[in-house]
Amino acid sequence: MDASIITNLFGEFSSMAPMIILILGVLLMPALYFTTKNRNVVSVAMLSFIVVSMLVNAVLLLGSYQGDYLGLFEYDAFSGLMILLFQIVILLVAIVSASSVEVTHLHYGAFASLLMAATTGMMFVATATDLIVIFVGVELASISSYVLVAMKRNDPRASEAAVKYVIIGGLSTALTVYGISMLYGVTGTTNLQEIAVSLSTQGFTWAFGIAMITMIAGYGFKIAAVPFHMWAPDVYEGAPTPVSMFLATGSKKMGIVVFFKIFLIMFVAGVSVASFATVEMQYLFAIIAAITMTVGNVVAISQTNIKRMLAYSSIAQAGYILIVMAVMSEYALTGGIFHMFTHVFMKGGAFLVVGALICAGIGEKITDYRGLAKRAPFLAFAMMLFLFSLAGIPPLAGFTSKFVLFSSAIYSDGGATSQWVWLAFIAILNSAISLYYYARVVKVMYVEKGESTEKIKVPKAFLAAILICVVAVIVLGIFPQIILGPAADAAAAFFSVV
Amino acid sequence: MFDLPEIPYLLTLLVLIPLIGAIVALSMGGEKQKYAKTVSIIFSAITLVLAVYLMLSSDYGQYTENYTWIETAGLKMSYILTVDGLSILMVFLTALLLLVVSIFSSHQTDKPNYFFALLLAMEVGLMGVYMSADYFLFYIMWEVTLIPMYFMISWFGGPRRHYAAIKFFIYTHVASLVMLIGIFALAFQASQGGVVDFSFAAVLAGSVAFSATFQTLVFGLMFFGFAVKMPIVPFHTWLPDAHTEAPTAGSVLLAGVMLKMGSYGIIRVCLEALPDGAVTWQPIMFVVAIVAIIYGAYACIAQKDLKKMVAFSSISHMGMVMLGIACLSEIGLEFAIFLMFAHGLITAVLFMTCGLAHDLFETREIPLLGGLASKVPVYATFMMFGFMASLGLPGLVGFWGEFGIIFGFYEYAESVNMIWLIVFCLFSLLLTAGYYLWAMQRTLFGRLTKKLPGEVMEHMRDVNKTEGIAMGIMCLMIAIFGLWPDLALNIISQYSSALMGVI
Repeated sequence: MDASIITNLFGEFSSMAPMIILILGVLLMPALYFTTKNRNVVSVAMLSFIVVSMLVNAVLLLGSYQGDYLGLFEYDAFSGLMILLFQIVILLVAIVSASSVEVTHLHYGAFASLLMAATTGMMFVATATDLIVIFVGVELASISSYVLVAMKRNDPRASEAAVKYVIIGGLSTALTVYGISMLYGVTGTTNLQEIAVSLSTQGFTWAFGIAMITMIAGYGFKIAAVPFHMWAPDVYEGAPTPVSMFLATGSKKMGIVVFFKIFLIMFVAGVSVASFATVEMQYLFAIIAAITMTVGNVVAISQTNIKRMLAYSSIAQAGYILIVMAVMSEYALTGGIFHMFTHVFMKGGAFLVVGALICAGIGEKITDYRGLAKRAPFLAFAMMLFLFSLAGIPPLAGFTSKFVLFSSAIYSDGGATSQWVWLAFIAILNSAISLYYYARVVKVMYVEKGESTEKIKVPKAFLAAILICVVAVIVLGIFPQIILGPAADAAAAFFSVV
Repeated sequence: MFDLPEIPYLLTLLVLIPLIGAIVALSMGGEKQKYAKTVSIIFSAITLVLAVYLMLSSDYGQYTENYTWIETAGLKMSYILTVDGLSILMVFLTALLLLVVSIFSSHQTDKPNYFFALLLAMEVGLMGVYMSADYFLFYIMWEVTLIPMYFMISWFGGPRRHYAAIKFFIYTHVASLVMLIGIFALAFQASQGGVVDFSFAAVLAGSVAFSATFQTLVFGLMFFGFAVKMPIVPFHTWLPDAHTEAPTAGSVLLAGVMLKMGSYGIIRVCLEALPDGAVTWQPIMFVVAIVAIIYGAYACIAQKDLKKMVAFSSISHMGMVMLGIACLSEIGLEFAIFLMFAHGLITAVLFMTCGLAHDLFETREIPLLGGLASKVPVYATFMMFGFMASLGLPGLVGFWGEFGIIFGFYEYAESVNMIWLIVFCLFSLLLTAGYYLWAMQRTLFGRLTKKLPGEVMEHMRDVNKTEGIAMGIMCLMIAIFGLWPDLALNIISQYSSALMGVI
């Protein structure tokens, strides 16, 4: 396909085209809600902005468009695919948010606007080539998210979650700024590639080491990597479920993209220089990954609230994706990107089922799901698929993406067995642990008898969004090529930048 | 055997037809539920016809399907189905057992649509395991068999079904994950830095370069994965629970064909691709085999529950299969494969009689029964037939497997000058005959029991028509293959002699 339709229209801003459309939406939504007072109108408008933005991105992506704006934003196969990921996340949230009883009735325009603003921030990160742009993008996404979490106004848990989120978020911002300024001090630039070049000539210094640690900590909070994960279960539990889903699938992925952007570029460029501390950093990431997946899975076992359980499982899933940071190969990145996509559908789908059931008056406790298979056969079936996919049971999408991701720890690009076999072993062991708590939910839904056998009615919008996820989980499991191909292109594009 | 015209996509059809059947059965909610059984019988009968057709065609090796499924710069996974002398009998057995349990499960009135859909779904996975020739596909199919069995036990099982189902699921899933690590290792090592191709053929081609250490290591991983499924002591504890709690149809499939996945995997993967590892592991295989044989037989004597006794006897018999494989000789292997097949036929009858005990006498406790042969003669006949076949009465199918394996083991023991090892085998035969005859004596013969409630004794019925047909088919098969073992051995020997060229 030819991308000239877009480039003619947007000129030098072409690399930012999908974001520009969403920014227009951000500005328009509150006004639209103010004039119409109708949630559905706002929803439809929001959806149309998202769809147009997706179409623009699709044209750019299929046209293999490459371009940059002022050396700050760069569009290539990698950023395009990541933008698509964030667009899918917001699309799913946008479909359901108007029907969700948890989303505030008072400020729906603001809700829609903030949602799009947060997504725009994530897209900034996806295209960024400069630390400052990454910082701005992350903050745009974070500040919007703080408000989104707080919007369930009559629930004290939401306020608590929001306060916790703001404080932790502020702390992580402070750490990040500190790290960025140290890095600027060491290298004299904020451009990622220039930093990489500068570092590979000067080698390892302690100032650089401190910068790394503070940045890992700062962005570690964003992806809820252990030991920076404490906030995540509280926030996911307190937030309205569509927002929890947005955070677990979107915001977390943004953090991972930041990790890819900053650390992969720096260290892969530094591999050629012996004095550079790449191997040590790889080990650091490997340890963080191993601890994150283990803690996430082990703590998830004891959870009684389904949202908290999903939050801990989300922490574990982030641990799996962090394998990419340890292995640092193109193949690992392919697997990481693929797993990010499947995670959106399976974890997003699971949160959507929870949200739908909350709309129908079912509680958040796992025991509330007793006998769900009889009361809501489709929802129970969908939930079972998502959970089995998360546990990595074939032939669902989660299995295939884990297969590629975990195998990257065994098979390095050169072909030799790599030193990360133990990490793959821990990851597979963790998959086995995770099956325990996923299977428990399935058991509660399908085997235990509930008090009521009344059929459950949920909003149609939820059913539509869940259906999208179900189809994706099955289709991506059986035909992984659909995402695996583009993911390989994206990884290649990413490493060609380095 | 015969020059039959080739049916296009025959192997895919063997997987696809049960899948369609499962979907059709599942969709029959409400009033139409009672036709689910008919659907199951029709679809499994079609599958069986195709499986028999495949077996009778003179060159079944011509049936192979190969399509690339997933391909990236570094990975290649394919959809490859094929059959050979090892798998074709298992394909036939799977199709046969599914038809028989569908006929047998006539009293299934609670949610029959789910029940029969699960049965057919299990057949999809089993067929896939036995026919796939790509590790990725193999692993997927392997896991596909798990989920229907989990639901089969936890929906339709006995009083402790939830515990048994979860235990079964976690045990076997963890084992499969260890196997998955082994699969990674095999495929990556075989690729030598090129494109990682997960097909059996590609791994086999690369396996010539495997070092002995690597083979030993990976053999350990794969062997563990398969041994849990088989199951080999001490990883067997899930089996008695799963068997006791599973409904009859589930037990039949579990013992008849799912346990065979373990021994099938050991032969297909461990022996074919890792022959040096097999030689290193040979002593350990002998030890675990003998422990399983003796332990299983001993445990049988102690059981009060008829079904649990049969479950432990499966452990003992699968230990016998393991012993045959461990010989690493043509005769041992040939009869190990034969015993896999034979045991599948025999356990079907055994578990059906155990299941019926629960329906007819409302208990399976051996001490509560006694002298039943006079009350239910047909039932007693089937039970005796099953027990006799299982303890290896000459003329029935069980005899040939055990006879051949012991002969193979004797050959091995003689070659290493340790003839006394054979004592273990003979001892186990003695135990087997002992517990079966003792169980029979306590349940069927002697004085009529007074321990059963009066109303049970009064309304006791004998085997009904559908149950009789189902068990009759199996008994007929046991007799046919017992009198004419060459029917199966001719197929197996082509495979086993070819494999011996590798080891």
